[in-house]
Amino acid sequence: MVNPVLLIAVPLGLAFAIPLFALFWKDAAKYIPPVALGFNLVVSLLLLAKVLENPVIVSIGGWRPPFCINLVAGPVGVLFSAIIALVGFLVSIYALDYIKEGATEKYHMLYLLLLTGATGVVLTGDIFNLFVFFEILCISSYALVAYLRDKPGIESAVKYLIQGAVGSSLLLIGIGLLYGQFGTLNMADIAEKITSASPIFLFVPMVLLITGLGVEAAIFPLNAWLPDAHSSAPSSISAILSGIAIEVGLYAVARVIFTIFGVSLSTTPSFLLFLALLGILTLLIGEMCAFSQNNIKRMLAYSSIGQIGLILFALAIGTSYGVTGGLFQLVSHTLSKALLFLAAGYMIYQTGSLQISALEGMGKKMPLTCLAFTIGAFSLVGLPPFIGFPSKFLIVRAALATEETIFIVLIGLALLGTVIEGAYFFRVVQVLYFKGEKVNPGRKEAPVAALIPMFIFVVLIVVVGIYPKLVTDVLNSAASEFLNRLDYIRSVLG
Amino acid sequence: MSFLDNYIYYIGAFGLILIGIYIILVKHNLIKVIIGLGILDTGVNLFLISIGYITKGTAPIFSRPGIDSEHMVDPVPQALVLTAIVIGVAVLALALSLAIRLYQHYDTLNLRKIRGQRW
Repeated sequence: MVNPVLLIAVPLGLAFAIPLFALFWKDAAKYIPPVALGFNLVVSLLLLAKVLENPVIVSIGGWRPPFCINLVAGPVGVLFSAIIALVGFLVSIYALDYIKEGATEKYHMLYLLLLTGATGVVLTGDIFNLFVFFEILCISSYALVAYLRDKPGIESAVKYLIQGAVGSSLLLIGIGLLYGQFGTLNMADIAEKITSASPIFLFVPMVLLITGLGVEAAIFPLNAWLPDAHSSAPSSISAILSGIAIEVGLYAVARVIFTIFGVSLSTTPSFLLFLALLGILTLLIGEMCAFSQNNIKRMLAYSSIGQIGLILFALAIGTSYGVTGGLFQLVSHTLSKALLFLAAGYMIYQTGSLQISALEGMGKKMPLTCLAFTIGAFSLVGLPPFIGFPSKFLIVRAALATEETIFIVLIGLALLGTVIEGAYFFRVVQVLYFKGEKVNPGRKEAPVAALIPMFIFVVLIVVVGIYPKLVTDVLNSAASEFLNRLDYIRSVLG
Repeated sequence: MSFLDNYIYYIGAFGLILIGIYIILVKHNLIKVIIGLGILDTGVNLFLISIGYITKGTAPIFSRPGIDSEHMVDPVPQALVLTAIVIGVAVLALALSLAIRLYQHYDTLNLRKIRGQRW
C-alpha cells in the first residue's frame, strides 16, 4: 500500500533539493517540479480507489490519534491532492518554457513549496498542522506574486502579505481558543467534544477561523487582494493561485464548518443561509467587476471571485446534492481557469499588452491558443458539452430540490451572474476572432511545452463534460465525508 | 485584585493584538504597518502561551524528582508558539524585503501615495 505521507514528504524534500541540484546543473531546477508532481499524481490516483471504501489514517510518530499529528486521506483529501497534483504537473510543464527571466531556481522551489503546502492542508487531520501548511502555501505565494520584481507585482505582493498575515493571525487566535476549551488539536477529537460545549463559547472561535481562512478563500469582504495579486503575478502562477490556492482556502472553510463545528441543515440552518447569502454577494460583485475590466488578467481574476461565490453558495445549500455540486464546480473552475490563464499568458506574451482590445485578430495569429481560451471560457460560462455545464446544472438542481423560496431566489441571482459572465467572456471571444483587419498576419503559435498542457486541459474539460459519471462517484463520497461527520470522527479515533 | 491576577496575561495578549490591528489599519507608513504585524504576532503568541500556563508552574519533566503533575505547565502551546514564531519571522523577513523593493520603485513608503493598483 502507498503511504499518503509520501504525497507531502517527496515534494517537500525535492523542493529544498532544487537549489542544490541547480548548483551543478542550472536546468535541473525546472525539471524537478514535473517529476515531483507527476509522482504525486500517480500516488493520489493509486490511493483514490482505496480510500473510496475506507479512509486511510496515518499516525505520525507511532502514537494513536488524538495524541499524534495524523493525516486523513479520505475521499476529500485524496480528491483534492489529485487535482492539485494534476494542475500543478501541467502548469509546471507549461513553466518549462514560460519562465525565462530572473532567478528561475527560486521560482521552481517556491512553486513546489506552494503545492506541497496545498497538499498538506487537504490531507492533514490536525488543525494546527493545517495552519502550518497554510502558512507554507501563503508565504510562497506572497513571494511568487512578487517574482517579476516589477512595480505592480511588488505592490500587490505587499498588499496580499499584509491582508494574509492578519488573516493567519486571526486563524491562530481561533485555534488557540479551541485548544483552550477542548485541550486537543486533532480535528476529529475537537469535533467529538464540541457537541458538549455551549454554543456561546463556540461562536467566537468559529468567526475567527472562518474570517482567517476566508482571506485566503477570497470570500466577499476579504478579497481586496485577489484581483491585484492574480493579475500581476506571472501567468503560470496566476493559474495556480486561481486554480488551487483559493480552492484550498475554500476546502479549509468547508472542513471547519462541516466537520469541526458540525453545521448542518438540521441544527443551524440560519448560519448556512448566511453563508449562502455571502456566496451570492461574492458572485454578483465578482462578476460585475469582471464585466467592467479592460485588463484581461484582472477580468479573469474577478471572474475567479465570482466562481468562488458560486462554490460557497453550493456548499452552503448543505444537502448532499448541493455539496456534490459545489465540489464539482470547484473541479470545473480549477480546470477551466487554469486553462484560461495559461492561454492568456502566451497571448499577452505575443502582444505585449494586458488590454483586451490588443487581442484583436489573435484568432488567426495563434489559432490553437485561442481555441483553448475559447473552450475554457465556454466551460466557465457553463455551455455544454464542457465540464462547466454538468457542474452548474447540479447546483441549480440542488437549489431547486430544497424547495425553499429563498434558495430558489438566490439561484436565480446566481444565474443572473452567469449571464453577466457570459457577456464578458463572449466579448473577449468576439475580439479574438471577429475584430481587427482581415489580412492574415502569419501564424506565431505558443511553444509546444505550452500547447501540450493546454491540450490536456481541453481534453479533460470535454471528456468530463460529456461523461460526468467519471467523477461523480468520487464527488459523491467526498460530499458524504463532509456531511457525515460522525463517520469521520469514528474513522479517525477508531 | 484577584481578577487581574488571574487574567493579566490574557488582558496583555488581547491588548497587544488590538494595538497591532490598530496600527495596521491606521498607519500610512509601510514600516509601521510591518511593526504592527510584529506586535500582532507577539500578542497571539502570548495568548497561546497563557492558555497553557499555571502560576508558578514548571517544565513537565517526569524524570525529575520532586515535581507533582499539578505544577506542570502544558507543553503543547509552547510547541505551537515555537512554530508560530518561526512562521512570524519568515513573514516579517519577506515583508521587509518587499518593503525595500517597494521603496526602490516608488521612492516612498507611504501607502496612501502608492496607488498603482487601486488599493
